[in-house]
Amino acid sequence: MRILLTGGSACGKSTYAEKLAMRFSTPRYYIATMRIYDEESRKKVERHRQMRKTKNFITIERDTDIHLIELSRRGTVLLECMCNLTANEMFDRYGNITDVYNKIISGIESLASQCENLIVVTNDVGSDGGKYDESTQEYIRTLGRLNISLAERFDCVYEMVCGIPIVLKGRLL
Amino acid sequence: MILVVGAIASGKKEYVKSLGYSDSDIADAILDERPVLYNLQDMVFSDPEGSGNLYDALLKKEVVICNEVGSGIIPVDETERKAREATGRLCNRLAQAAERVVRLVCGIPVVIKG
Repeated sequence: MRILLTGGSACGKSTYAEKLAMRFSTPRYYIATMRIYDEESRKKVERHRQMRKTKNFITIERDTDIHLIELSRRGTVLLECMCNLTANEMFDRYGNITDVYNKIISGIESLASQCENLIVVTNDVGSDGGKYDESTQEYIRTLGRLNISLAERFDCVYEMVCGIPIVLKGRLL
Repeated sequence: MILVVGAIASGKKEYVKSLGYSDSDIADAILDERPVLYNLQDMVFSDPEGSGNLYDALLKKEVVICNEVGSGIIPVDETERKAREATGRLCNRLAQAAERVVRLVCGIPVVIKG
């Protein structure tokens, strides 16, 4: 089963994703993509670690190159999240942009081929309609295209609103 | 309590009026005796850190209306970013306790809970 979860900031995506993962087969792998570069990101990572503490996830920290991940056993994978992964892959520390679409898609396919259940958390970055600088616009477009592609490939797509899943594709599990 | 969410100008207030409330029942970002609270996001944005304390008072309202503020690019400005997250988290808690949650899209009330 492959499930894509989308929604804005703080709409309950992580909580719901973990709840779903708990219903699927073990082992449960959590792929953490957030790059720790300041106090705020450190706190965010810590908050998510606390949330997962009692849930027996095997955490794999990888902020780029998810295609290199090799899982020892088939089980359930929770990847969080596409917005960090895409930003990390796209922008190096000098601000250079790389075309990462194909790289990320093959990374997701590689993960999907190694597990029974894959849950991917993404974000709804294109919906404020705002005008940004060229590199941010490129980021919005890339993540948008990735979301479309994942939604096509996956069995279920849910949008989270106030912690409530709204079914956009498939059925509620 | 009914939680009503949606984008700016998505028809939230009109929907609440269709439930039988009038303008005099609707308090704009202030806690008083009126049964409907409107623009909850403004209250959170004025004090993101303390916004969790609004929870108990909000549960006593008949209707709480809040803009969905979490979509789009995550703001560079820290205060704005935190306020967005605080609004989202408060709405998640309110939605859990609410007997009904309605999301307005193009003026159409979509019942997402209850």
